[in-house]
Amino acid sequence: MKVMDHGTTGRGDAPPSAIEKARQTTVGKSIFRGPRRVTPRDRAAGHWASFLLHLYPVKMRRREIHFRYSWYLGVISTVLLGSLVASGVYLMFFYVPSPAQAYTNIQTIQTEVAFGQYVRNVHRWSAHLMVLAVAAHMARVFYRGAYKPPREFNWVIGVVLLLLTLLMSFTGYLLPWDQLAYWAVTVGTEMADYVPLIGEQVKEMLLGGPVVGETTLLRFYVLHVAVLPLALVGVLTIHLWRWRKDAMFDQQAEDIDED
Amino acid sequence: MKTDLPSSPNGQPGPDEVPVELSSRPTVVGGKRVLGVVPGKPIAGERKVIDRDDTVMVWPHLLVRHAVAAMVTLLTVMVISVFVDAPLREVANPQNTPNPEKAPWYFAALQELLARFHPLVAGVLVPGAIMMGLVALPYIDRSNFVKPRHRKVAITTFTTFMVIWIILTLIGFMFRGPNWGWVWPWEEWHGEL
Repeated sequence: MKVMDHGTTGRGDAPPSAIEKARQTTVGKSIFRGPRRVTPRDRAAGHWASFLLHLYPVKMRRREIHFRYSWYLGVISTVLLGSLVASGVYLMFFYVPSPAQAYTNIQTIQTEVAFGQYVRNVHRWSAHLMVLAVAAHMARVFYRGAYKPPREFNWVIGVVLLLLTLLMSFTGYLLPWDQLAYWAVTVGTEMADYVPLIGEQVKEMLLGGPVVGETTLLRFYVLHVAVLPLALVGVLTIHLWRWRKDAMFDQQAEDIDED
Repeated sequence: MKTDLPSSPNGQPGPDEVPVELSSRPTVVGGKRVLGVVPGKPIAGERKVIDRDDTVMVWPHLLVRHAVAAMVTLLTVMVISVFVDAPLREVANPQNTPNPEKAPWYFAALQELLARFHPLVAGVLVPGAIMMGLVALPYIDRSNFVKPRHRKVAITTFTTFMVIWIILTLIGFMFRGPNWGWVWPWEEWHGEL
Protein backbone atom coordinates (compact mmCIF):
# COMPACT_ATOMS: atom_id res chain seq x y z
CA MET A 1 0.00 0.00 0.00
CA LYS A 2 1.18 3.45 -0.80
CA VAL A 3 1.62 5.69 2.18
CA MET A 4 -0.42 8.85 1.98
CA ASP A 5 2.00 11.74 2.02
CA HIS A 6 0.99 14.89 3.77
CA GLY A 7 2.43 18.00 2.23
CA THR A 8 5.55 16.52 0.69
CA THR A 9 6.43 16.60 -2.95
CA GLY A 10 4.04 13.82 -3.85
CA ARG A 11 6.54 12.07 -6.11
CA GLY A 12 7.59 9.47 -3.58
CA ASP A 13 7.63 6.42 -5.81
CA ALA A 14 7.89 8.15 -9.17
CA PRO A 15 10.71 6.95 -11.43
CA PRO A 16 13.76 9.26 -11.32
CA SER A 17 13.59 12.17 -13.72
CA ALA A 18 16.30 13.04 -16.24
CA ILE A 19 17.57 15.77 -13.93
CA GLU A 20 17.66 13.29 -11.06
CA LYS A 21 19.71 10.87 -13.17
CA ALA A 22 22.06 13.66 -14.22
CA ARG A 23 22.59 14.53 -10.56
CA GLN A 24 23.72 11.02 -9.82
CA THR A 25 26.61 11.14 -12.31
CA THR A 26 30.13 12.06 -11.22
CA VAL A 27 29.85 15.50 -12.82
CA GLY A 28 26.34 15.99 -11.44
CA LYS A 29 27.46 15.17 -7.92
CA SER A 30 30.30 17.68 -8.24
CA ILE A 31 27.89 20.48 -9.24
CA PHE A 32 24.94 19.87 -6.93
CA ARG A 33 26.00 19.35 -3.36
CA GLY A 34 23.81 17.55 -0.89
CA PRO A 35 20.90 15.18 -1.30
CA ARG A 36 17.67 15.73 -3.13
CA ARG A 37 15.44 17.82 -0.90
CA VAL A 38 12.05 16.25 -0.32
CA THR A 39 10.37 17.45 2.85
CA PRO A 40 9.35 21.12 3.18
CA ARG A 41 11.77 21.56 6.05
CA ASP A 42 14.58 20.10 3.99
CA ARG A 43 13.72 22.23 0.97
CA ALA A 44 13.63 25.37 3.08
CA ALA A 45 17.08 24.55 4.42
CA GLY A 46 18.33 24.05 0.88
CA HIS A 47 16.86 27.37 -0.22
CA TRP A 48 18.45 29.12 2.74
CA ALA A 49 21.85 27.64 2.00
CA SER A 50 21.88 28.56 -1.70
CA PHE A 51 23.88 31.65 -2.62
CA LEU A 52 21.49 32.89 -5.30
CA LEU A 53 18.23 31.80 -3.72
CA HIS A 54 19.04 33.48 -0.41
CA LEU A 55 18.15 36.80 -2.04
CA TYR A 56 14.56 35.60 -1.91
CA PRO A 57 12.46 34.72 1.10
CA VAL A 58 11.95 30.98 1.52
CA LYS A 59 8.19 31.23 1.61
CA MET A 60 5.65 33.84 0.68
CA ARG A 61 1.95 34.31 1.19
CA ARG A 62 0.14 32.81 -1.76
CA ARG A 63 -1.80 35.95 -2.63
CA GLU A 64 1.44 37.95 -2.92
CA ILE A 65 3.02 35.83 -5.64
CA HIS A 66 0.36 36.29 -8.31
CA PHE A 67 0.65 38.68 -11.24
CA ARG A 68 -2.41 40.64 -10.13
CA TYR A 69 -0.78 41.48 -6.81
CA SER A 70 2.33 43.30 -8.00
CA TRP A 71 2.25 43.09 -11.81
CA TYR A 72 5.89 41.99 -11.27
CA LEU A 73 7.03 45.59 -11.84
CA GLY A 74 9.84 45.32 -9.29
CA VAL A 75 11.37 42.29 -10.94
CA ILE A 76 10.85 43.89 -14.36
CA SER A 77 12.79 46.99 -13.19
CA THR A 78 15.59 44.77 -11.88
CA VAL A 79 15.77 42.78 -15.11
CA LEU A 80 15.98 46.04 -17.08
CA LEU A 81 18.80 47.15 -14.77
CA GLY A 82 20.60 43.89 -15.61
CA SER A 83 20.05 44.51 -19.31
CA LEU A 84 21.46 48.04 -18.87
CA VAL A 85 24.57 46.82 -17.05
CA ALA A 86 25.27 44.17 -19.69
CA SER A 87 24.77 46.46 -22.68
CA GLY A 88 26.46 49.39 -20.91
CA VAL A 89 29.66 47.45 -20.21
CA TYR A 90 29.84 46.49 -23.88
CA LEU A 91 29.43 50.11 -24.98
CA MET A 92 32.13 51.24 -22.55
CA PHE A 93 34.73 49.30 -24.53
CA PHE A 94 34.21 51.59 -27.51
CA TYR A 95 33.54 54.96 -25.91
CA VAL A 96 35.82 57.81 -24.77
CA PRO A 97 34.13 60.63 -22.83
CA SER A 98 35.65 63.63 -24.59
CA PRO A 99 33.89 66.09 -26.92
CA ALA A 100 36.46 65.34 -29.62
CA GLN A 101 35.80 61.60 -29.63
CA ALA A 102 32.42 60.83 -28.03
CA TYR A 103 30.25 61.51 -31.07
CA THR A 104 32.60 59.73 -33.48
CA ASN A 105 32.70 56.77 -31.09
CA ILE A 106 28.92 56.49 -31.20
CA GLN A 107 29.01 56.58 -35.00
CA THR A 108 31.68 53.87 -34.97
CA ILE A 109 29.60 51.79 -32.54
CA GLN A 110 26.63 52.06 -34.88
CA THR A 111 28.45 51.30 -38.10
CA GLU A 112 31.56 49.21 -37.36
CA VAL A 113 31.32 47.51 -33.96
CA ALA A 114 29.79 44.03 -34.00
CA PHE A 115 26.14 44.32 -32.89
CA GLY A 116 26.99 47.92 -31.90
CA GLN A 117 23.77 49.48 -33.15
CA TYR A 118 21.71 46.71 -31.56
CA VAL A 119 23.47 46.97 -28.18
CA ARG A 120 23.11 50.74 -28.19
CA ASN A 121 19.40 50.31 -28.95
CA VAL A 122 19.06 47.84 -26.08
CA HIS A 123 20.75 50.31 -23.73
CA ARG A 124 18.62 53.24 -24.84
CA TRP A 125 15.24 51.49 -24.78
CA SER A 126 15.97 49.60 -21.57
CA ALA A 127 16.77 52.92 -19.91
CA HIS A 128 13.47 54.52 -20.95
CA LEU A 129 11.54 51.38 -20.03
CA MET A 130 13.26 51.25 -16.64
CA VAL A 131 12.12 54.79 -15.78
CA LEU A 132 8.58 53.75 -16.74
CA ALA A 133 8.79 50.45 -14.84
CA VAL A 134 10.13 52.05 -11.65
CA ALA A 135 7.43 54.74 -11.74
CA ALA A 136 4.75 52.13 -12.40
CA HIS A 137 6.13 49.97 -9.58
CA MET A 138 5.74 52.91 -7.21
CA ALA A 139 2.14 53.52 -8.34
CA ARG A 140 1.29 49.82 -7.99
CA VAL A 141 2.74 49.69 -4.47
CA PHE A 142 0.67 52.72 -3.59
CA TYR A 143 -2.62 51.31 -4.87
CA ARG A 144 -1.89 47.98 -3.17
CA GLY A 145 -1.31 49.75 0.15
CA ALA A 146 1.95 47.82 0.27
CA TYR A 147 3.78 50.74 1.94
CA LYS A 148 1.72 50.32 5.11
CA PRO A 149 3.37 49.13 8.32
CA PRO A 150 5.78 47.45 8.69
CA ARG A 151 6.96 48.43 5.19
CA GLU A 152 7.05 52.24 5.47
CA PHE A 153 10.79 52.62 5.29
CA ASN A 154 11.13 50.39 2.24
CA TRP A 155 8.85 52.84 0.44
CA VAL A 156 11.29 55.63 1.37
CA ILE A 157 14.18 53.56 0.02
CA GLY A 158 12.09 53.10 -3.12
CA VAL A 159 11.77 56.87 -3.52
CA VAL A 160 15.58 57.10 -3.34
CA LEU A 161 15.80 54.40 -6.03
CA LEU A 162 13.41 56.36 -8.26
CA LEU A 163 15.66 59.42 -7.90
CA LEU A 164 18.79 57.40 -8.65
CA THR A 165 17.10 55.88 -11.72
CA LEU A 166 16.25 59.36 -13.02
CA LEU A 167 19.82 60.56 -12.39
CA MET A 168 21.27 57.49 -14.12
CA SER A 169 19.09 58.14 -17.14
CA PHE A 170 19.83 61.88 -17.16
CA THR A 171 23.62 61.52 -16.90
CA GLY A 172 23.56 58.90 -19.65
CA TYR A 173 21.55 61.22 -21.87
CA LEU A 174 24.57 63.51 -22.37
CA LEU A 175 27.06 60.85 -23.41
CA PRO A 176 26.28 60.58 -27.18
CA TRP A 177 27.24 64.27 -27.39
CA ASP A 178 24.76 65.10 -30.12
CA GLN A 179 22.43 68.08 -30.30
CA LEU A 180 19.69 66.14 -28.52
CA ALA A 181 22.00 65.24 -25.62
CA TYR A 182 23.67 68.62 -25.31
CA TRP A 183 20.53 70.73 -25.19
CA ALA A 184 18.44 68.34 -23.11
CA VAL A 185 21.14 68.44 -20.43
CA THR A 186 21.46 72.21 -20.79
CA VAL A 187 17.72 72.60 -20.15
CA GLY A 188 17.76 70.03 -17.36
CA THR A 189 20.65 71.59 -15.46
CA GLU A 190 19.26 75.10 -15.87
CA MET A 191 16.56 74.04 -13.42
CA ALA A 192 19.22 73.77 -10.71
CA ASP A 193 19.84 77.51 -11.22
CA TYR A 194 16.49 78.34 -9.69
CA VAL A 195 17.35 76.89 -6.31
CA PRO A 196 17.94 79.89 -4.06
CA LEU A 197 21.40 80.50 -2.53
CA ILE A 198 23.08 77.25 -3.52
CA GLY A 199 21.56 76.79 -6.99
CA GLU A 200 24.40 78.31 -8.98
CA GLN A 201 27.12 76.48 -7.05
CA VAL A 202 25.29 73.18 -7.44
CA LYS A 203 24.96 73.73 -11.16
CA GLU A 204 28.62 74.70 -11.57
CA MET A 205 29.73 71.71 -9.55
CA LEU A 206 27.61 69.46 -11.75
CA LEU A 207 28.76 71.03 -15.02
CA GLY A 208 32.33 71.90 -14.03
CA GLY A 209 31.80 75.36 -15.53
CA PRO A 210 29.08 77.84 -16.47
CA VAL A 211 27.88 75.81 -19.48
CA VAL A 212 27.85 72.18 -20.59
CA GLY A 213 31.34 71.37 -21.88
CA GLU A 214 34.31 69.03 -21.75
CA THR A 215 34.35 68.80 -17.93
CA THR A 216 30.61 68.15 -17.85
CA LEU A 217 30.96 65.20 -20.19
CA LEU A 218 33.70 63.65 -18.04
CA ARG A 219 31.76 64.25 -14.81
CA PHE A 220 28.52 62.84 -16.20
CA TYR A 221 30.44 59.83 -17.53
CA VAL A 222 32.04 59.07 -14.17
CA LEU A 223 28.69 59.52 -12.42
CA HIS A 224 26.97 57.36 -15.03
CA VAL A 225 29.35 54.40 -15.13
CA ALA A 226 30.72 54.34 -11.58
CA VAL A 227 29.15 56.47 -8.85
CA LEU A 228 25.45 56.13 -9.62
CA PRO A 229 25.43 52.41 -10.55
CA LEU A 230 27.25 51.55 -7.33
CA ALA A 231 24.85 53.70 -5.33
CA LEU A 232 21.86 52.22 -7.16
CA VAL A 233 22.92 48.62 -6.64
CA GLY A 234 23.82 49.33 -3.00
CA VAL A 235 20.45 50.90 -2.23
CA LEU A 236 18.68 48.20 -4.26
CA THR A 237 20.36 45.57 -2.09
CA ILE A 238 18.88 47.16 1.03
CA HIS A 239 15.50 47.44 -0.72
CA LEU A 240 15.49 43.72 -1.58
CA TRP A 241 16.83 42.69 1.82
CA ARG A 242 14.00 44.55 3.53
CA TRP A 243 11.49 43.09 1.06
CA ARG A 244 12.70 39.61 1.97
CA LYS A 245 12.49 40.31 5.68
CA ASP A 246 9.02 41.87 5.33
CA ALA A 247 7.76 38.80 3.48
CA MET A 248 7.84 37.04 6.85
CA PHE A 249 5.63 39.59 8.62
CA ASP A 250 1.96 40.19 8.06
CA GLN A 251 0.88 43.67 7.25
CA GLN A 252 -1.14 44.89 10.16
CA ALA A 253 -4.05 46.35 8.19
CA GLU A 254 -7.56 45.44 9.38
CA ASP A 255 -8.95 44.64 5.95
CA ILE A 256 -6.02 42.65 4.63
CA ASP A 257 -8.01 39.40 4.50
CA GLU A 258 -11.12 40.85 2.89
CA ASP A 259 -11.86 40.31 -0.74
CA MET B 1 -6.38 1.15 -2.36
CA LYS B 2 -9.16 -0.31 -0.34
CA THR B 3 -8.47 -1.04 3.26
CA ASP B 4 -10.77 -2.20 5.99
CA LEU B 5 -9.83 0.79 8.12
CA PRO B 6 -12.60 3.35 8.31
CA SER B 7 -11.47 6.68 6.96
CA SER B 8 -13.00 9.69 5.29
CA PRO B 9 -11.10 11.43 2.45
CA ASN B 10 -9.30 13.73 4.89
CA GLY B 11 -7.89 10.84 6.82
CA GLN B 12 -9.86 11.11 10.04
CA PRO B 13 -12.85 9.02 11.02
CA GLY B 14 -16.12 10.67 10.23
CA PRO B 15 -18.74 10.94 12.99
CA ASP B 16 -21.21 8.59 11.33
CA GLU B 17 -18.78 5.83 10.59
CA VAL B 18 -19.11 2.52 12.31
CA PRO B 19 -16.20 1.76 14.61
CA VAL B 20 -14.04 -1.19 13.71
CA GLU B 21 -15.03 -4.35 15.37
CA LEU B 22 -11.90 -5.98 16.66
CA SER B 23 -12.26 -9.67 16.26
CA SER B 24 -9.90 -12.44 17.19
CA ARG B 25 -8.74 -12.51 13.59
CA PRO B 26 -5.99 -9.82 13.17
CA THR B 27 -6.76 -6.97 10.77
CA VAL B 28 -4.17 -6.94 8.01
CA VAL B 29 -3.36 -3.82 6.01
CA GLY B 30 -0.78 -3.93 3.23
CA GLY B 31 0.69 -7.12 4.62
CA LYS B 32 1.09 -5.58 8.09
CA ARG B 33 -0.97 -6.46 11.15
CA VAL B 34 -2.85 -3.56 12.73
CA LEU B 35 -2.35 -3.51 16.47
CA GLY B 36 -4.98 -1.00 17.34
CA VAL B 37 -7.12 1.92 16.29
CA VAL B 38 -6.25 5.15 18.08
CA PRO B 39 -8.76 8.01 18.28
CA GLY B 40 -7.72 11.50 17.18
CA LYS B 41 -6.10 13.12 14.15
CA PRO B 42 -3.38 11.51 12.06
CA ILE B 43 0.13 12.30 13.27
CA ALA B 44 1.03 13.91 9.96
CA GLY B 45 -1.76 16.46 10.47
CA GLU B 46 -4.96 17.08 8.67
CA ARG B 47 -5.03 17.62 4.95
CA LYS B 48 -6.19 21.15 4.51
CA VAL B 49 -7.29 23.26 1.61
CA ILE B 50 -4.60 25.86 0.89
CA ASP B 51 -6.05 29.34 1.01
CA ARG B 52 -4.48 32.57 -0.17
CA ASP B 53 -3.08 33.50 3.21
CA ASP B 54 -1.05 30.34 3.43
CA THR B 55 2.58 30.50 2.55
CA VAL B 56 4.05 28.59 -0.35
CA MET B 57 7.66 27.86 -1.22
CA VAL B 58 9.24 30.64 -3.26
CA TRP B 59 10.93 27.97 -5.35
CA PRO B 60 9.20 27.04 -7.57
CA HIS B 61 5.99 29.07 -7.13
CA LEU B 62 7.38 32.62 -7.25
CA LEU B 63 10.60 31.98 -9.13
CA VAL B 64 8.98 30.45 -12.21
CA ARG B 65 6.68 33.46 -12.39
CA HIS B 66 9.65 35.81 -12.08
CA ALA B 67 11.48 33.87 -14.77
CA VAL B 68 8.54 34.32 -17.14
CA ALA B 69 8.34 38.04 -16.30
CA ALA B 70 12.08 38.37 -16.97
CA MET B 71 11.84 36.58 -20.32
CA VAL B 72 8.87 38.67 -21.45
CA THR B 73 10.73 41.85 -20.45
CA LEU B 74 13.92 40.87 -22.29
CA LEU B 75 11.96 39.75 -25.34
CA THR B 76 10.18 43.13 -25.43
CA VAL B 77 13.51 44.98 -25.26
CA MET B 78 14.96 42.76 -27.98
CA VAL B 79 12.04 43.26 -30.34
CA ILE B 80 12.03 47.05 -29.87
CA SER B 81 15.81 47.16 -30.33
CA VAL B 82 15.72 45.15 -33.54
CA PHE B 83 13.12 47.40 -35.14
CA VAL B 84 13.74 50.87 -33.69
CA ASP B 85 17.13 52.56 -33.70
CA ALA B 86 18.20 54.90 -30.90
CA PRO B 87 18.24 58.50 -32.11
CA LEU B 88 21.51 60.25 -32.95
CA ARG B 89 21.31 63.85 -34.17
CA GLU B 90 24.14 66.07 -35.47
CA VAL B 91 27.19 66.54 -33.26
CA ALA B 92 26.67 68.87 -30.27
CA ASN B 93 27.04 72.53 -31.19
CA PRO B 94 26.88 75.08 -28.36
CA GLN B 95 26.43 77.88 -30.91
CA ASN B 96 23.29 76.38 -32.41
CA THR B 97 20.35 76.18 -30.00
CA PRO B 98 17.56 74.00 -31.38
CA ASN B 99 14.01 75.26 -31.24
CA PRO B 100 12.25 73.88 -29.26
CA GLU B 101 14.84 73.06 -26.63
CA LYS B 102 13.55 69.97 -24.85
CA ALA B 103 14.53 68.23 -21.62
CA PRO B 104 14.32 64.40 -21.49
CA TRP B 105 10.71 63.19 -21.43
CA TYR B 106 10.69 62.40 -17.69
CA PHE B 107 11.44 66.08 -16.97
CA ALA B 108 8.89 67.32 -19.54
CA ALA B 109 6.29 68.00 -16.83
CA LEU B 110 8.78 70.19 -14.94
CA GLN B 111 9.66 72.03 -18.14
CA GLU B 112 5.99 72.60 -18.85
CA LEU B 113 5.52 73.98 -15.32
CA LEU B 114 8.53 76.28 -15.82
CA ALA B 115 6.83 77.77 -18.86
CA ARG B 116 3.75 78.58 -16.80
CA PHE B 117 4.92 79.59 -13.34
CA HIS B 118 7.71 81.48 -11.63
CA PRO B 119 10.92 79.42 -11.75
CA LEU B 120 11.13 79.33 -7.97
CA VAL B 121 7.70 77.67 -7.85
CA ALA B 122 8.06 75.36 -10.83
CA GLY B 123 11.74 74.52 -10.53
CA VAL B 124 12.19 74.31 -6.76
CA LEU B 125 8.99 74.26 -4.73
CA VAL B 126 6.99 71.80 -6.84
CA PRO B 127 9.71 69.15 -7.32
CA GLY B 128 10.79 69.60 -3.69
CA ALA B 129 7.22 69.19 -2.49
CA ILE B 130 6.72 66.10 -4.66
CA MET B 131 9.81 64.41 -3.27
CA MET B 132 9.00 65.38 0.31
CA GLY B 133 5.41 64.24 -0.17
CA LEU B 134 6.47 60.86 -1.53
CA VAL B 135 8.98 60.30 1.27
CA ALA B 136 6.45 61.34 3.92
CA LEU B 137 3.50 59.42 2.43
CA PRO B 138 3.69 56.30 4.66
CA TYR B 139 4.02 58.51 7.74
CA ILE B 140 1.12 60.82 6.79
CA ASP B 141 -1.27 58.10 5.66
CA ARG B 142 -1.59 56.10 8.88
CA SER B 143 -5.02 54.60 8.20
CA ASN B 144 -5.00 50.93 9.03
CA PHE B 145 -6.46 49.74 5.70
CA VAL B 146 -5.05 48.48 2.44
CA LYS B 147 -8.15 48.03 0.28
CA PRO B 148 -8.94 50.97 -2.03
CA ARG B 149 -12.56 51.27 -0.85
CA HIS B 150 -11.34 52.08 2.67
CA ARG B 151 -8.73 54.62 1.51
CA LYS B 152 -10.78 57.03 -0.59
CA VAL B 153 -8.92 60.19 0.49
CA ALA B 154 -5.43 58.75 -0.09
CA ILE B 155 -6.40 57.17 -3.42
CA THR B 156 -8.12 60.32 -4.69
CA THR B 157 -5.22 62.58 -3.72
CA PHE B 158 -2.55 60.32 -5.21
CA THR B 159 -4.55 59.71 -8.40
CA THR B 160 -5.20 63.43 -8.88
CA PHE B 161 -1.50 64.30 -8.64
CA MET B 162 -0.51 61.37 -10.83
CA VAL B 163 -3.00 62.25 -13.57
CA ILE B 164 -1.93 65.92 -13.51
CA TRP B 165 1.71 64.83 -13.76
CA ILE B 166 1.03 62.46 -16.68
CA ILE B 167 -0.93 65.16 -18.54
CA LEU B 168 1.84 67.74 -18.00
CA THR B 169 4.44 65.19 -19.18
CA LEU B 170 2.45 64.46 -22.34
CA ILE B 171 1.94 68.17 -23.02
CA GLY B 172 5.65 68.95 -22.59
CA PHE B 173 6.69 65.90 -24.58
CA MET B 174 4.30 65.97 -27.54
CA PHE B 175 2.27 69.17 -27.62
CA ARG B 176 5.05 71.74 -27.51
CA GLY B 177 6.87 73.02 -30.58
CA PRO B 178 9.02 76.02 -31.52
CA ASN B 179 9.20 78.71 -28.80
CA TRP B 180 7.28 76.31 -26.56
CA GLY B 181 4.12 77.06 -28.55
CA TRP B 182 1.24 74.62 -28.75
CA VAL B 183 1.37 72.05 -31.59
CA TRP B 184 -0.77 69.04 -32.41
CA PRO B 185 1.40 65.92 -32.42
CA TRP B 186 -0.31 64.54 -35.51
CA GLU B 187 0.62 67.71 -37.42
CA GLU B 188 4.13 68.40 -36.12
CA TRP B 189 6.12 65.97 -34.04
CA HIS B 190 8.66 67.38 -31.57
CA GLY B 191 8.92 64.58 -29.02
CA GLU B 192 12.44 63.21 -28.56
CA LEU B 193 13.46 60.02 -26.83
